[in-house]
Amino acid sequence: VTTVDTAGVTTFIRPDGAEKVTGVGRYTADLTLTGMAHARFRYADHPHARIRRIDTTQARALPGVVAVITQEDLPDVRFGGLVQDRTLFAKDVLRFEGEIVAGVAALTEGIAAEAAALIEVDLEPLPVVTDFVAAMEPDAPLIHPHWASYERDENMVANGNTIAYSTIVKGDADAAMAQADVVVRSRYESDASQGVPIEPRAVLAEWRGDEVTIWSSTQVPYAARAGVAQTLQIPEANVRVVVPLLGGGFGAKCDLHFEAQVAALARAARRPVKLIFSREEEFTAIAQRREGIVMEFETGASWDGSMVARRARLILDKGAYCGEGGFLGQMAAMHACGPYQIDNVFVESFLNYTNQQPSGSVRAPTAPQVCWGLEQHMDELASELGMDPVELRRRTLIEKGAEGPTRQIFDEVGIKQTLERAVEMIGYDRELPEDEAIGVSVGWWPCMPAASGAYIHLNGDGSGTIVTGAQENGSGAVMAMPAFVADELGMDPDDFALLYQDTAAANWDMGSCGSQTTFNSGRAILAAAADVRDQLLDAAAAELEVDREDLEPAEGHVRVKGSPDRSVAIADLSAAGTIHGKGSGEVPEVPTGDTGGCVGRLGNETFLAPQLITQAAHVRVDPETGVVRVLKVAAAHDSGVILNRIGADGQVTGGVVMGVGLAISEGTQLDEEGRQRNPHLLDYKLITSSDAPEIEVDWIQIPAKGAGPRGSKGVGEPPQVPTAGAIANAIARVLGTRVRHLPMTPERIWAASQGVDG
Amino acid sequence: LTPSFTSAVSLEDALAALGSGARPVAGGTDLVVGARQGKASLPDAIVAIDRIESLEGILAVDGGLRLGPLATHEEIVASDAIRERFTALADASAIVGSHATRAHGTIGGNVMNASPAMDTGGPLLSFEATAILRSVSGGERAVPLAELWTGPGATIADSRELLVGIDVPGPEPMTGSAYVRLEYRRQMEIAVVGATAVVTLDGGSVADARVAITALAPTIRRIPEAEAALTGSAGGDDAIAAAAGAAAAGSSPIADVRGSAEYRVAMAEVITRRAIVAALARARGEHVPVPASAAPHRPTRGADA
Repeated sequence: VTTVDTAGVTTFIRPDGAEKVTGVGRYTADLTLTGMAHARFRYADHPHARIRRIDTTQARALPGVVAVITQEDLPDVRFGGLVQDRTLFAKDVLRFEGEIVAGVAALTEGIAAEAAALIEVDLEPLPVVTDFVAAMEPDAPLIHPHWASYERDENMVANGNTIAYSTIVKGDADAAMAQADVVVRSRYESDASQGVPIEPRAVLAEWRGDEVTIWSSTQVPYAARAGVAQTLQIPEANVRVVVPLLGGGFGAKCDLHFEAQVAALARAARRPVKLIFSREEEFTAIAQRREGIVMEFETGASWDGSMVARRARLILDKGAYCGEGGFLGQMAAMHACGPYQIDNVFVESFLNYTNQQPSGSVRAPTAPQVCWGLEQHMDELASELGMDPVELRRRTLIEKGAEGPTRQIFDEVGIKQTLERAVEMIGYDRELPEDEAIGVSVGWWPCMPAASGAYIHLNGDGSGTIVTGAQENGSGAVMAMPAFVADELGMDPDDFALLYQDTAAANWDMGSCGSQTTFNSGRAILAAAADVRDQLLDAAAAELEVDREDLEPAEGHVRVKGSPDRSVAIADLSAAGTIHGKGSGEVPEVPTGDTGGCVGRLGNETFLAPQLITQAAHVRVDPETGVVRVLKVAAAHDSGVILNRIGADGQVTGGVVMGVGLAISEGTQLDEEGRQRNPHLLDYKLITSSDAPEIEVDWIQIPAKGAGPRGSKGVGEPPQVPTAGAIANAIARVLGTRVRHLPMTPERIWAASQGVDG
Repeated sequence: LTPSFTSAVSLEDALAALGSGARPVAGGTDLVVGARQGKASLPDAIVAIDRIESLEGILAVDGGLRLGPLATHEEIVASDAIRERFTALADASAIVGSHATRAHGTIGGNVMNASPAMDTGGPLLSFEATAILRSVSGGERAVPLAELWTGPGATIADSRELLVGIDVPGPEPMTGSAYVRLEYRRQMEIAVVGATAVVTLDGGSVADARVAITALAPTIRRIPEAEAALTGSAGGDDAIAAAAGAAAAGSSPIADVRGSAEYRVAMAEVITRRAIVAALARARGEHVPVPASAAPHRPTRGADA
């Protein structure tokens, strides 16, 4: 780790750059074991069908095939987060196009593909539910008719195809709305979209006796381990999940994803088995896409801009299974409130099953879409009030002492400062050509408290090994840890090696999700470092015969404060090999509020240490074609104290680029039967580096209380939250009309400019 | 047929391989991507022609051009002769795919792949280029591109013929040309709507005009009504609008994941207008940077502005 310290800003240069750029780095797909066979899945032939019969005879007979398995060969176990509604392979019913019917392992990829095609599946097609709003109709076919028999979280409030109904309630929104000076109503709709990590996933499994080692491109190795143990009915101790270099995730590699199927194939084949996904499978088979949402907002305000009431109704597309996304509806409901002061609130959300790919956590799940709708709604309110949109936000954003949507009381928050800074960076009041405009959007995202644990061993030569359950996703968050530890112990970051991404080495960690690595894993690592520090001070106190209160670790030694000549080298203290610390730290508590009136409480009713964001976008619109170029995005964020500036800036840069894609080009298109029409990078249009705008980043650094280490909050997810909303508001200023369908593709913008509702 | 891959170093070797059933590959940017997408599996026998020197190069011949089929898009964009006199072709090659596609993809592969969305097709058709096909039996024939393409992915060339050159006659003096494509992104795009205009001025009026549309019909096609609307006119707004309207009327686009038919028809008019405006500007000696698609299009900027 190279540490650069310029003008008080500490940055850590990631050590993985060279191996990635030169191609030396090993990803899961690069691994090969002796005797390894290749896996291929057979997918559903229809997005909703009853299975009459699966015949694997011909596939098994094909020379070179070493295993064919279906759900019949596995324990009858359903898995899932808040609802356990899915089996590893389809049982009885197929519910989306990427449902796995069977798995094949063969000596070559070609034979595996041929065998998968030879599996005969006799189906009875069922009516397909693709429209997640129509899924709520009383006569809609049920995706899970036996929902009541599933294991589930008791707070899931279900009805028909609605897997979770949630409300956020404060005061009496109906009464207040009736008294408001101005009432504005809006409807917005977002398509589903995808995380699209550059590395399609790969899984390699090898058994030794009753124990299996699984190399997987996962963001959450411990969740994968738990899922394998549960679905194959073996102890977690017998499952070791190792993550080689991970080629991105963005949430799409959260949750249990194919580790268990590949492990089951390897067991049946009595050989190591490797699965490598094609790009198309990475689109269609994973159970983690960004959900489609239909949003209706209604806000009542006084002429001075203060908001007296907010009503909102959100309908979200869950897809066919719960996965880890059972919380999506409630999270969306909080984003329909936003970081604003609103006197009375009634927001309800419906999370509905459909015959589509399951939705799950993709970078700040639900927030970018809901924020895109809400922030346009706020600009519509400003217009109705005859007020500048920035002025309306100045008057309504939360501040210290303000009450949240469930009456949590906020500590000092920097959202208003982010607004002023973003507006300043973009040059909000500039004269622009008539085809250009600036739009502004704010947003928020909670910190996710979770357990974590770390060990730090000092070795005989004075070097150290940090053992953590943290998962690196490419952000550099884990790679920065040696610098924090070195700082605590008066050592050099290069004194430390990291042992991580191996569930056999460290204890449980939530993984690379929820912007939690520095927040929780970092806390645990610092606690372990504090333990090592204590042990070093004790040992040095005995060695130097000095009171330990008079000692400090510095420059590789423990020395007497004020007398640096009286010291002992840390290498000498660790020579006996007895210095080893551990730590977890205290998990921050989620704030309390008045949540008694809320239905479907799943844990997001209040926001711990909210990360707060304003982004301003400068765009150029070609109204004749609808083509938009985003010229600049100014991003001002309050993520508390920033511990690694270059890493944090990188998160914003990447998040904004993803946000631009979400805004203007990224959307999964479906045919009438719920099959994806663009499951490839030719027609699922990511933003290219040539399309990336100039991005200016600044941080409002207010030390956060009761949050992450050293006054920090999370960083990774918020950058994508407000980007699309800012771009939308800028587009609306150019067009004089709004684009109400996300992504705001050229055709939709063109249609809106023609007076057609996009 | 046994799956095979051979690499020819001479035209004779390549033709011999074709004679025994192999299919030629140059840059591979369509063949390999198509196979991975499952559009068409790779041929059982492939002969690589990328090392045949006689198929390389961009030659100035009798005021016109002889394009070697192995000329890459990158080489075409870099050619001064093409940028100055066949500017629409430079516009097109400059926006094919990505940097990597342009470095590997060849004009010959582009022409013989016969995609109705190919960017270079409109310019070549408008410049009235001719494909030179050499047969395994030794014969050679010259086929105008208008006759070469018979449908999406289909040409009249038979499997025993190899494209050995593309002849492009030189334009008259005072000719300007442009290819404009609707671009959702700045890189990695495939034509959803494209238009080519080649105009020759005589004093203040248009002596000759050629207009072609791309990705708007089963093959790239010229629009005689659009050409007629411009020819003899002063190249003013009305003539341009009439020509652009004719291009829209002459399009019969599909509706797919990239756009509705309605949007494509509307864009046919806009993009054709922009191509004509850029071609006229170049014919008058004004500077319009390559590629013409990259210029921001201000709503206030009309034909004579």
